[in-house]
Amino acid sequence: MLYLIRKMRSQLNSWALLSVIFSTLILLPALLIMIQLFAESNENWEHIKEYMLKNYIVNSVTLVSFTGFFTVLIGVSTAWLVSAYKVPMHRFFKWGLILPLAIPPYIGAYTYHGILNYTGVIQTTLRNQFGIKVDQKYFDIMNIPGAVFIFTMFLYPYVYIITRSFLENQSSSLIENARLLGKGSFMTFIQVVLPVSRAAIVGGVSLVILEVFNDYGVVKYFGIQTFSTAIFQAWFGMGDIYSAIKLAGTLMFIVVLILILEKVIRGRKQYSYSTSKVRPLQPKELKGLKKVAVLSFFISLFALAFAIPFIQLLQWVYMTYDVILSAAFADLIWNSVFVAAIGSVFIIIVALIIANFSRLSKGWIGKLFSKITVLGYSIPGAVIAIGVLTLFLALDEKVITLYEWFGLEPTLVLSLSISMLIFAYVVRFLAVGFNSIESGFDKVGTVFTEASRTLGMSVTKTFFKVDIKMIKGAIAGGFILVFVDILKELPLTLILQPFNFYTLATKTFQYASDERIHEAAVSSMVIICISALSIFFLHRVLEKEPK
Amino acid sequence: MFVQIKNLTFHYKNSQKPLFENLSLSFKQGEVSVILGESGSGKSTLLRLIAGLEVPSKGSIQIDQAVMNDNFRFVQPEKRGVGLVFQDYALFPHMTVEKNIKFGLTKMNRKQKQARMEELLAIVGMEDYASRYPYELSGGQQQRVALARAMAPNPSLIMFDEPFSNLDSKLQLQIRDELQEILKRTGITSIFVTHDEEDARAIGDRIILMNNGKIQDEGRPEMVLQKNKEKLSLAYV
Repeated sequence: MLYLIRKMRSQLNSWALLSVIFSTLILLPALLIMIQLFAESNENWEHIKEYMLKNYIVNSVTLVSFTGFFTVLIGVSTAWLVSAYKVPMHRFFKWGLILPLAIPPYIGAYTYHGILNYTGVIQTTLRNQFGIKVDQKYFDIMNIPGAVFIFTMFLYPYVYIITRSFLENQSSSLIENARLLGKGSFMTFIQVVLPVSRAAIVGGVSLVILEVFNDYGVVKYFGIQTFSTAIFQAWFGMGDIYSAIKLAGTLMFIVVLILILEKVIRGRKQYSYSTSKVRPLQPKELKGLKKVAVLSFFISLFALAFAIPFIQLLQWVYMTYDVILSAAFADLIWNSVFVAAIGSVFIIIVALIIANFSRLSKGWIGKLFSKITVLGYSIPGAVIAIGVLTLFLALDEKVITLYEWFGLEPTLVLSLSISMLIFAYVVRFLAVGFNSIESGFDKVGTVFTEASRTLGMSVTKTFFKVDIKMIKGAIAGGFILVFVDILKELPLTLILQPFNFYTLATKTFQYASDERIHEAAVSSMVIICISALSIFFLHRVLEKEPK
Repeated sequence: MFVQIKNLTFHYKNSQKPLFENLSLSFKQGEVSVILGESGSGKSTLLRLIAGLEVPSKGSIQIDQAVMNDNFRFVQPEKRGVGLVFQDYALFPHMTVEKNIKFGLTKMNRKQKQARMEELLAIVGMEDYASRYPYELSGGQQQRVALARAMAPNPSLIMFDEPFSNLDSKLQLQIRDELQEILKRTGITSIFVTHDEEDARAIGDRIILMNNGKIQDEGRPEMVLQKNKEKLSLAYV
């Protein structure tokens, strides 16, 4: 007991205090939803539960299962082919196959719809050049299989990246041994590669699943009823925050179940097993028919998941840029950059504080804080938005009483303000910045901090003079990742954006919803280019890092 | 006694068995003490406890009459006035030699800092290297800078964690002699941690033989080494 008190005293400083405050704030929205989930139900909710909930669950689960299956299929096979074999343009495909991640699925969705519909490039060419009229049903992608296609094309890189880096760095001796023992390529893949990379695959596919649950743009555009669309309907359609909370709570519950499932499936296996010598797997040259087959697979995948939609968007940009590029568009960019920059700065500051505390305190308290910060990333954007909205509405009630007390006109001050939006971004994307900074800290260790402290510097002085300077790269990387994530964010921003305030993402979505898909191209292109740059940058940084 | 450790108990988290249990030990002013033991015997942890980098579960530590920790108090490492030279030196890679040495000189004005820095570079014979970065120095040079940096704030006690383990054997002898000379000249109280019998014999006024967190023997180097010859040779086979 004495020991505990002493231990606490040695750590009870402003760092601990700030960490507690921030973690509590981060946790509040989720907690509010949890509490409300068990509150009494109203009529709307009874109606939703009775007639619609089953449909939401079935649709969401169908989307998640099929997308999960196909992303594993494509992600794992590309990861294996890229790391084990050499084909022409190997280096290009190695990172080119990550590029689809730069296209947010909702942009991919309306682009593909634009390509395939009656007035799209394929059908008009067929009609005008060849006089062929096609049956519309073969060209309709606005349904569940279509959504699965879109999700698969633009999300498979999650599985690909994680599995590939595992295969390249961890498994060379196993794979070489399998080859020496006389196994052919295919049997090696089935008997060795798949089982050893199970943890990596599960890690990648759970990211995909979280993204699908998070999505609002694709399903809304395609007219598929899921939890996200239902939350929007409850809040915007019926103004019923109460049912929105219940829906959000149910969705959160499902997501938590999936996270638990992930832990169970992954078991005690980690992404990496520890061997002191990491030897990269040497890819071998492919010849003849096999070479042609692998190459055509890569080319078609790259075309479908990146080149075709990208080129189509370029054409639309060319058609519309003179109308779109105006003062209003400059405002749009300013808004996006503004919220993304402020949000990223807050996230990096909070992440630095909690990560520094958690690393220096070493014990379970620090671990707990780092777990809490990561929570938001698993929770779909719409759910966080509803939680944050509930929190701010409650705060506003207090503020209004305060206003009346001072004899001022009561108004909603906090709700639907930019500060609420930015707070929600911090909750949602803190994990992204935190992971980057934590791994930066892990790499430098604590020895420099300790050296500084024995030289007479306090924790805080050490932080500014030593720690922060040693993880500059990690801070920059984390900032870029968060910035791009906020820039692309759709569902949360749609719910929480202040009146008449649009970001690139929400304006894009609005154009697309209004069937003005050509006009959406310019803002889409900006988002895609910034994302692609950040992917390129991070890829380069990762490549350069000593193994 | 300059450093007084009483009934110190310490466990690592996740470990049921304490590394130290009721350990008592003291160090005289101006003395060069060597803690000799195999790796894992707890000798580095003892240094970290004295420096305040680990929190003991029981017991007290006093340095120069002042209580560093007991059941009620815990003085933070930056307030202890203890210098520590780390095994891998821990020179700040983003600072030059000059900046590294000036790092701990907080209560001086610019002129005083410069003078102190030059004084220390002269002591360790590195006058020409002030503007170099740590990665531009050899292992032996880094070692000397680390010593200069630890000594700069004028600590009442300086501790060395395996200071020679990263040096090749020829350099090891040279640095060891230099270090001994510097310590004698400055008269600073110092504690070394090493697993090398020869180092212990050469540098120590007193040897403390440690095994599994317990003190096996202590005294003048020749006596301790002679008496425990068999045990030591067994341990290092």
